[in-house]
Amino acid sequence: MNKKYYILSILLLWAGLLFADDVKFTASVNKTQVATGEVFEVTFSINGNAEHFAPPNFSGFQVVAGPNVSTSMTSVNGNMTMSNSYSYDLVPTRVGTFTIGTASIVANGHTLNTNSIRITVVKGKPVPQNSRSRQMQYDDDDGQGQASSVDVSKQLFIRAVVDKTHVYQGEQITVNYRVYTRVGIMDNQVDKLPELNGFWSQDITDQKQTAQWKTETVNGLRYNVADVKQVILFPERSGNLTLDPLGMTFIARIPAPSRDFMDQFFGGAFEDKKLKLKSPPVTIHVDPLPEAGKPEGYDGAVGAFSINASVDKTSLKANDAINFNIKVTGKGNIKLLKNLNVVFPADFEKYDPKVTDTITSKVNGIAGSRSYNYLLIPRHQGTYTIEPVKFSYFNPATRRYVTLTTKPFTINVAKGANESNVTALSLADKQDIKLLDKDIRYIKTGSAHLSKEGDEFLGSGWYYLLLLLGPVLAIGALVYRKWDEKNNSDIVKVKSRKASKIAAKHLASAQQQLINKNQKAFYDDLFKGIYGYLSDKLNIPYANLDKETIAAALKAHKVNESLIRQLEETLDLCDMARYAPVTGIAERDVFEKAKTMINDIENEI
Amino acid sequence: MKYKHLIYLLIAFAMPMLAHAADNMQALFEKGNQQYAKGNYKEAIADYQQILKVGYQSVPVYFNMGNASFKNGDIPSAIYYYEKAHKLSPGDDDINFNIQFANLRTTDKIDVAPEFFLVKWWNSFILMFSATTLAVWSIVFILLASGALIMYIFTYSVTIKKASFYSTFILFIIGLFIIFMGNRQVNYFDTHHQAIIFSGAVTVKSSPADAAKSLFVIHEGTKVDVLENNSNWTKIRLPNGNEGWIVVGDAKEI
Repeated sequence: MNKKYYILSILLLWAGLLFADDVKFTASVNKTQVATGEVFEVTFSINGNAEHFAPPNFSGFQVVAGPNVSTSMTSVNGNMTMSNSYSYDLVPTRVGTFTIGTASIVANGHTLNTNSIRITVVKGKPVPQNSRSRQMQYDDDDGQGQASSVDVSKQLFIRAVVDKTHVYQGEQITVNYRVYTRVGIMDNQVDKLPELNGFWSQDITDQKQTAQWKTETVNGLRYNVADVKQVILFPERSGNLTLDPLGMTFIARIPAPSRDFMDQFFGGAFEDKKLKLKSPPVTIHVDPLPEAGKPEGYDGAVGAFSINASVDKTSLKANDAINFNIKVTGKGNIKLLKNLNVVFPADFEKYDPKVTDTITSKVNGIAGSRSYNYLLIPRHQGTYTIEPVKFSYFNPATRRYVTLTTKPFTINVAKGANESNVTALSLADKQDIKLLDKDIRYIKTGSAHLSKEGDEFLGSGWYYLLLLLGPVLAIGALVYRKWDEKNNSDIVKVKSRKASKIAAKHLASAQQQLINKNQKAFYDDLFKGIYGYLSDKLNIPYANLDKETIAAALKAHKVNESLIRQLEETLDLCDMARYAPVTGIAERDVFEKAKTMINDIENEI
Repeated sequence: MKYKHLIYLLIAFAMPMLAHAADNMQALFEKGNQQYAKGNYKEAIADYQQILKVGYQSVPVYFNMGNASFKNGDIPSAIYYYEKAHKLSPGDDDINFNIQFANLRTTDKIDVAPEFFLVKWWNSFILMFSATTLAVWSIVFILLASGALIMYIFTYSVTIKKASFYSTFILFIIGLFIIFMGNRQVNYFDTHHQAIIFSGAVTVKSSPADAAKSLFVIHEGTKVDVLENNSNWTKIRLPNGNEGWIVVGDAKEI
């Protein structure tokens, strides 16, 4: 048992030794080159437990404040770590190069020394403390206020801190209105909130009610810093936009110049002063969104998004409701998104979407989701398709447009329960044919109906010819009719014309023989012709015909005696000519005689 | 003398080719239609253009050309060809619809000066049928009237004579009226010279000179009446009654 305690105590001692080795004692200044009259700070810090701090000789400098001792203690797993720092505010009194000597401290029985630090002092403004005290002697409150506000502007100010100053239109910017202070603030009040023209703004919501104080070093000076207002901005137009200043009123506790030695001795006097401050304006350069590659239907979304669409059911009955949900998730101007252009089947009854936002505004930007919930009611059975929804946004990080597409949905609609009833009951349920879009009428197909330019039918020669055809025919008909009437008015003439026609018909072959000068055949044909005519005329069969019958029949028709005799003579002549050549009479005379006879008979009967 | 044979030979070859030309054109027309159906509007235009270049004219070709130009985004050409088709077949509903539709896409909105309603009616009446249709019908009616007249001349029956007399009278009147209509239509197109503005924006001047006062600006696709041509300048009138001069190249006469 005893051995164990020994080992433990040795180990513990080792640990103590090791710890002692780690102790460091350093000296630092916030600037190595200072102007005369300028306050600078020298800090000696040790990261362990130490005692007997001996400050160096600050020859050439005037100690304005200090030593300010700060101690911090941390306990990790039971190990206690301690650090001490001793700081002095110094003011150089002369121009030149000075050395701050080594300071010493005793830690764990060891004496530690700092390095010496060289400080270059240049000529500066007259020592402010002097001037202030001089002014104090002569001036009243007004002058003093003016003087101190100049001084205070370094002690207490507001700034608008933006995360970027060069953005695209619609890209989000985070703006922090910050108070920087080195003095105690007794009270504050916001006078004027910035108007932020040209921006759409959103206050950050995760901000706590009370301001969180942090320390921040600006130009080598340590400040207590608090965010007064944090806002996320979306530029609404391109160009150089200016952030308005934020105005605040503070009541600050400012160290007052000591009037007497006693005040100085007790750490100086303080004075509560009312100060009106404004943050300096900040200019933001806003670039317009690039035109190149801008997708069709782009609606101003900037950031990084994803899109998801869903339906609660894909098969249902007519007149039942269906929920179609589109969710846009991401970082960017989600609140500024316009309604998506969703193409639903024309036959669906569609209601305006219910828009639900789940958006958080944090220091690093606005993020969240917006969901569009469409209530749809199919009115008729069938298979319908909800077209894919296209959503485009501009990603400022990649400087590109991105188009996202959801998947299409096929909806099967079965016949509804009361669909037929509804239609039967009222005519009001009948719907007009929806005019979806207008377009030009389709091209003409089929024959091209080509014609050469300049040969239109109207006005062409053929046109006039055909047009005149009718009237010409009508006039022709009229002329013919007139002529016909005129000819038919004289009965005798008509009759004789007819008779001669008949004679010509019967004597045609005889005439032929006459031309051929075949005498025998001529008489033969003439005889046959007369016989044929009489047979037709008297209605006596050809076989029964002889001279006596003819004479008797003609007499019965009261034909002229001389004509009958003439006919008999001619027939005799023809009879005779068949057996012996006829002389003393020309064939032509006989032919003409026969023709006249036929005409005469025709006229008499 | 040697060449004479060659010419005869060429003619002998060319004659059947000329007969085939119409068939070729019909094939071209169908090819253009197929290209149009596929959405290749530029190719379709090229095909139709080939038909027109040879000197043919046809309502379907003009109409399809207009459609292809419209789909191609060339509104002035579309209107130009629609108007050409309209001139050949003024009563075609498809053409009139597309003219109206294409006019919605032009820049200028011109309030048409109100016309006396009888004039409007009369114009739409004489433009109801194409010139060729009117020509054919006029011939048919005149022939029918002549037929009835011939019947009147030759018939002996009193009833037929009476009926044919009156029908001759009526048919003849109708025939003459149709001839008159055709004549008026030809006259209408002869006196109503119209043109389509093809340049993007045209400044209309008060007189035919560059230095003349600018009266107003019209844009492509607008239809104007051509009143007078003066070497390099054309006097135009807008449907709202405004008149002025433009450079010849800015507009294309229908």
